[in-house]
Amino acid sequence: MSLVKIFEIALKTGRVTRRYPVEEPLITPEFRGSIEVDPTKCWGCGACVKICPPNALTLTPSGKGLILEYFVGRCIFCGMCAEVCPAKAITVTKKFELASANLRDLRFRVVHKVLRCSICGAPIAAEAEVRAVVKASPTSEEYALLCPKCRKEKFSKSVGLRVGASSGRSS
Amino acid sequence: MTDPVLKVVEELKGLGGVVEEIKDREVYLVVDRDRLKSLAKALYSAGAYLKTCAGVDERQVQGVLSIYYMFGLDELGTDVILRVPVAEEDAKIPTIVPEVPAADWCELEARDMVGIEIVGRPVRRLVLPEDWPEGVHPLRKDFNYSTRPPRGFKSEASEEVGVPLGPYHPALHEPEYFELYVEGEKVVDVAYRGFHVHRGIEKLAESPRFTYKQVPFLAERICGICGFVHSSCYVMAVEKAAGIEVPERAEFIRSIVLEVERLHSHLLWLGVAAHLLGYDAGFMHAWRIREHTMVLAEYLTGSRKTYGINIIGGVRKDLNVDKLDKTLKTLATVREEFVKLAEVVLSVPQIRSRASGTGVLSRSEARALSVVGPVARASGLYRDVRKDYPYFAYKEVSFRVPLYTEGDNLARLLVRVEEVLESIEIIKQLVDKLPGGPIAVESWDVPPYRRAVAAIEAPRGEDVHFIITGVGKPYRWRVRAPTYQNIPALRAMLRGAPLADVPLTIASIDPCFSCTDRVVVYDVRTGGRRVLRISEGVSPCPL
Repeated sequence: MSLVKIFEIALKTGRVTRRYPVEEPLITPEFRGSIEVDPTKCWGCGACVKICPPNALTLTPSGKGLILEYFVGRCIFCGMCAEVCPAKAITVTKKFELASANLRDLRFRVVHKVLRCSICGAPIAAEAEVRAVVKASPTSEEYALLCPKCRKEKFSKSVGLRVGASSGRSS
Repeated sequence: MTDPVLKVVEELKGLGGVVEEIKDREVYLVVDRDRLKSLAKALYSAGAYLKTCAGVDERQVQGVLSIYYMFGLDELGTDVILRVPVAEEDAKIPTIVPEVPAADWCELEARDMVGIEIVGRPVRRLVLPEDWPEGVHPLRKDFNYSTRPPRGFKSEASEEVGVPLGPYHPALHEPEYFELYVEGEKVVDVAYRGFHVHRGIEKLAESPRFTYKQVPFLAERICGICGFVHSSCYVMAVEKAAGIEVPERAEFIRSIVLEVERLHSHLLWLGVAAHLLGYDAGFMHAWRIREHTMVLAEYLTGSRKTYGINIIGGVRKDLNVDKLDKTLKTLATVREEFVKLAEVVLSVPQIRSRASGTGVLSRSEARALSVVGPVARASGLYRDVRKDYPYFAYKEVSFRVPLYTEGDNLARLLVRVEEVLESIEIIKQLVDKLPGGPIAVESWDVPPYRRAVAAIEAPRGEDVHFIITGVGKPYRWRVRAPTYQNIPALRAMLRGAPLADVPLTIASIDPCFSCTDRVVVYDVRTGGRRVLRISEGVSPCPL
C-alpha cells in the first residue's frame, strides 16, 4: 500500500533541510555571487560597463570625477564583467546575502580622477587608464596626455614638418 | 538537401512559391499573398507542422512588411519558411487558420506588433492590452524602444466590476486568465486571455544597448524554469545564421546542461501535479529529489537557475573530472529515489483515477494545432526535436522517445516520468563520450541580413527562435516558447470536462505563463459569475 511505502521513504530520508542561517548555506565551490571592484586596480576604462547585460555597472562623469558604480540591485551575477576586465580588478565573490533596508548599501563606487588635455584642458579619460596605456604600449607620453583633437593637430603638424624636411633634403 | 525535400519544394514551386535561399536544413521561399493559402495547405498535408509565424518590419532592407511562416517537415528534418511580403500602404494578408489552425495566435500577434491586417477571420487583440492606442505597432522599426504611448483606461459599461483576487504561487503558476463557460458542473467552452506579463523582450533586444553578446543573458530570462533552452536556442540561431562552427566539447556541455534542466523541470512538474491532486506528500518528495539536480546545476554552471554559461560560439565553463564524477553520483541517487517515488505516486488509486480519461486531446486535434513536447507525445504524435532535427550532441546518443496514444492527463504524466529516466541515460552517455578540446571559438563575426530558424526540445516541447541578423545585433529576433503552441489545445481538452478536472488538465500541459491561480466561471444558464481559485475543490489529502 502506497501510504506505507511513502512512510518508509520519509523515515529513511530523515530531515534534508539545513538549519540555515545557523548552519552553513548550501552553496557549491562554483557559485557566482556579487562582484567586488578593487579600486587600486581599476582603470575606469568601462569595458565592464559595455558588456554588462542588465546595466548594473555604469560609468558617469561628474564634478568629482569619473564614477564607476556597481548597483547590486540590478546585477544578474553572470560575471561577464570579471571576464572582460583588462586590469583584473573585478572578482566574483560567493556573497549572496545582499538584502538591505537602505538602498545606499547596494551601491558601490569607484571615483576616478579625470585626466585633462595638457593643451586645451578638455577631459580625456580616467587618469589610471591613461597611465596603464602608457605603461603597456610605447606611446610617447606627450601624445597620451592630449585629447583626440589636439593629438590629431600635433601629429599632423609633426608629420607635415617631417615630410617637408625630407622633401627638402631630396630636392 | 534530400530527394523527398526537393519533391516538396518542387510542388511548392508549382503552386507559385519562388525559392529565395536553400540551406542545409532550411528552405526559404517567397510567396505572393494570394497564393499563400494553397502553399500552406500543401505543406500541412505533406506532413509539416507549423512552428510559428513572425511579422517582420523589413522596410529598411526590403521596403516591405513581411510575415515569415515557419513550417517544419519533422520527418525530413527540414524547415520550410514562407515569406509573404506586402507593401506598407496595403498591409493585408489572408488568414491561413482554416488550412492551418495552429496559425491562430501568431497571425494575431503579427497584427498587433507589426500592424499587418489579417483578412478573412475574426480578429482581436492578442498581445497588446486594450488601452493601447490604435495604429501603434511596437515592433515597427520606427517605434523607439523607450517610447511610452499615452494610455487611457477604457471603462467597461457594466457598473459591476469583478476584481480577481487570488493567491500568488511563484513556483509554477503565473498570470493566466481562463474564462470557463459552464452548464452546471460541465465546461461548455473556454476563453483564454493571456500576455498579462508580456515584457517586450524582442523589442528590448533591438534597443541600442543590446549586442549579440548580451542577448543570451536576456534570452535566459524568458523563462525561469527552462531558461537555458532559450539561451541555447538563441545562440544556435545566431551560430546557424553566421555559420559559426562550435567546438564539439561545447556542444556536449550544452547538451548535458540541457538534460539536467529537463530533469529538474519534470521533477518540479511532477510535484506540482501531485500537489494539485491534493497529494502533498508526493509533492514534497518530488521536490526533495529535484534539489539534487539543482545543486548539480549550480556546481556545473555557477548558478542554480539562469546558468549564464552560453555565449555565441561555445560555453564559458568547462567540466573537469570532479564535476563529471559528481554528475554521475547525483544521477545514480536521483534515479534510485525517483524510481521509488514514481512507483508510489503511480500506485495511488486516486491519482490514477483522476488522471486517466480526463483532459483528452485526440491525435487529430493535436495534429491540427501543431502541439509540441509531452502534450504531442501523449496524443500519439512522434515529435521530438532531439530526434527530428538533431542538434548539439544529440546525434551521438541513443535514447527512446516515450509515446502514448491515450491523450489524457495520465498519458502526459507517464511521458514525463519516462523522460526523466531517458534524460538520466542521455547524460550518462554524454559524460562517457565527452571529447576534449576547446569550449569556445576564439573569435566570430556575424554578417548582416542572414536568417536562421533554430529549435530545441525544451521540457515543455519545441522551443523556436528565428533570427534575422543585423549590424552588431539582431535585426529581428522572434521567440516562440512551447506553451504558446500548447495553450490553444486546452480548449479542446477542457470542453465537456467536469469543472473539477480543470486544474489538473491546465497543469498537464506544464504551462509556463506567470500565473495567479484564478479562473472566472460563467454559468451559461443563470448568467452568474464567480471567481474560482485553481486549487479550490481539491480535498487536502485523498489518502
